[in-house]
Amino acid sequence: MELKEIRKKIDLLDSRILRILNYRMELALMAKKLKTSIEDKDREKEILERIRLNSTGLINAEFVEKVYTEIIKESKGLQQRDHRLIGFQGEHGAYGEVALRAWNSEWVSVPCAGYSAVFEGIKKGLFDYGIVAVENTLGGVVGEVNELLVNTDLYVAGAVELPVYLCLMTLPGTDHRDIRSVYSSSQALVQCHNFLERNHLEALQYYDSAGAAKMLAEDTPKSSAVIASKLAAEIYDLEIIKEDIDDFERNMTRFLILSAKANVAEGDKCSILFSTAHRAGTLFSVLEIFAKHDINLTRIGSIQSGAGNYTFFLDFIGSNKDEKVISSMEQIKKVTSSLRFMGCYKEKRVD
Amino acid sequence: MKNLKLTTIKVKNQARTLVKVKDITIGEGFTVIAGPCSIESEEQAIETAIRVKEAGADILRGGAFKPRTSPYAFQGLGIKGLQILEKAGKESGLPVVTEVLDPRDVSWVCEYVDILQVGTRNMQNFSLLKEVGKAGKPVLLKRGMFSTLSEWLSCAEYVLAEGNPNVILCERGIRTFESYTRNTLDLAIVPSIKEVSHLPVIVDPSHGTGRLSLVERMCLASIAAGADGVMVEVHRNPAEALCDGDQSLSPPMFMSMMKKVRKLQECMVEINALDRESSK
Ligand SMILES: [Mn+2]
Repeated sequence: MELKEIRKKIDLLDSRILRILNYRMELALMAKKLKTSIEDKDREKEILERIRLNSTGLINAEFVEKVYTEIIKESKGLQQRDHRLIGFQGEHGAYGEVALRAWNSEWVSVPCAGYSAVFEGIKKGLFDYGIVAVENTLGGVVGEVNELLVNTDLYVAGAVELPVYLCLMTLPGTDHRDIRSVYSSSQALVQCHNFLERNHLEALQYYDSAGAAKMLAEDTPKSSAVIASKLAAEIYDLEIIKEDIDDFERNMTRFLILSAKANVAEGDKCSILFSTAHRAGTLFSVLEIFAKHDINLTRIGSIQSGAGNYTFFLDFIGSNKDEKVISSMEQIKKVTSSLRFMGCYKEKRVD
Repeated sequence: MKNLKLTTIKVKNQARTLVKVKDITIGEGFTVIAGPCSIESEEQAIETAIRVKEAGADILRGGAFKPRTSPYAFQGLGIKGLQILEKAGKESGLPVVTEVLDPRDVSWVCEYVDILQVGTRNMQNFSLLKEVGKAGKPVLLKRGMFSTLSEWLSCAEYVLAEGNPNVILCERGIRTFESYTRNTLDLAIVPSIKEVSHLPVIVDPSHGTGRLSLVERMCLASIAAGADGVMVEVHRNPAEALCDGDQSLSPPMFMSMMKKVRKLQECMVEINALDRESSK
């Protein structure tokens, strides 16, 4: 190995060590949500003991104890501050996290393996909030999330509409002429189909776009690139070859911010969920009520819940303090078999 | 010229090729392409872009892959340069042109720019010509520094034969025994092209003369010769340029040149009207 190559490997490793440390701090903040006091001497002793036993090679026990004393100190310091934890689906750098940063950059975002882990985490109190994608202008509705929404008692605390900029990125110093394969989520690959064809690149599916970026940074496969967010490029120290490579002009994803408690802050948008009896005209009667009250609907979606039964999602413009919203809700209650007011909130449109 | 099927005029009053790039039509009026020899940094490119736009340029130029005489000279910023050029184009609202050197780069360069340039040293790089012919973007084909008119058209023929009709020819000077100027700008080629080909032709007086003091005059002469436009090198600070600083105009010089260009263009309208009258 040449010096340049060794240094490159060290750089990759350093950024990986930092990401792992960040992950450890996230876990510490999650642990705090479940325990009563920050100080736990027994647990600290246990950690240091285990670490000392695990020290190998060039890493001696004394050094490792010094490092870990600092890490524990830092994580206790973080635990003392009041952090808002918010779960998102995917690895760091996922579009949910991009949307979240646009909503509130102070919140701590925690990656979750799947959407159900986001819902679970909020319910269990690990997260104060969760952010989930509900629909995309190209890919339609996110079925899995809608399914979870129907069966949840969580509330909507906000919404973000995010333009999705898909970027092609490589390990630093990769020559664009050497790129052969491109890893990303199946949706991202489909949306960049023409770009990949034009440049003779092979599309390889990965479970998640940000996950692909992480894999590239850690496994360093040869002749490879990934399609992911700009944020992912920053997090995994990757070099962007081309921004905004998808084949479509308008690629927007809408995210909902969920919480275990109903939103009390001012809002100008509302979401409801209702089921109607299985007979003709019931959906129409609900829509009629909105029309008579002159309320603008912004989204309507449906999901089959049991044989022949449908549950509808409906978003509209207005506040739950508006007279016409209150009155229409009362009337809708009468014509539906179930009605759940999911929240009144603000929606942010990112440019 | 009997092997030229697509580039030459076949019938009397044959329509001339118009190359459309965004809101600009090359072959109609007089198109001015300006910008730095090479993209050096984001600030340099964007500042130059905005200043040439203010002065009235139609298209922005900037090199990312540089064909340098010496392998030790600045080779350009590559992909990074393309990213900057694209951004400078967006910020200034100008379409952009850059040179492509390698057939493997053609599809990539297309992702960032509006016009592909094939440089003088690559005029007869046939695999590159075929590749840009397939690319679906207009091609600015510079004249090889040792090439005759028919050799040049033959190269344009390669691009057209691949199904790409949007070729802009660019005279950039040829090698002669004259050494005062970097090359000898062959302005007679402009009306010559007009006699035999329907393709638009522009002139590059920056490389054609290699001398700052001659650029403006040769630019005006190009208008009189009937060229469809010019391509000139402009650097925000020529003394600091990493490439071709000696022949690059400063933004104020470009601004003053542009005033004269537009003035002469107006005069040419009258002169061209006289032409039409006498040919009746
Ligand atoms: Mn130059």
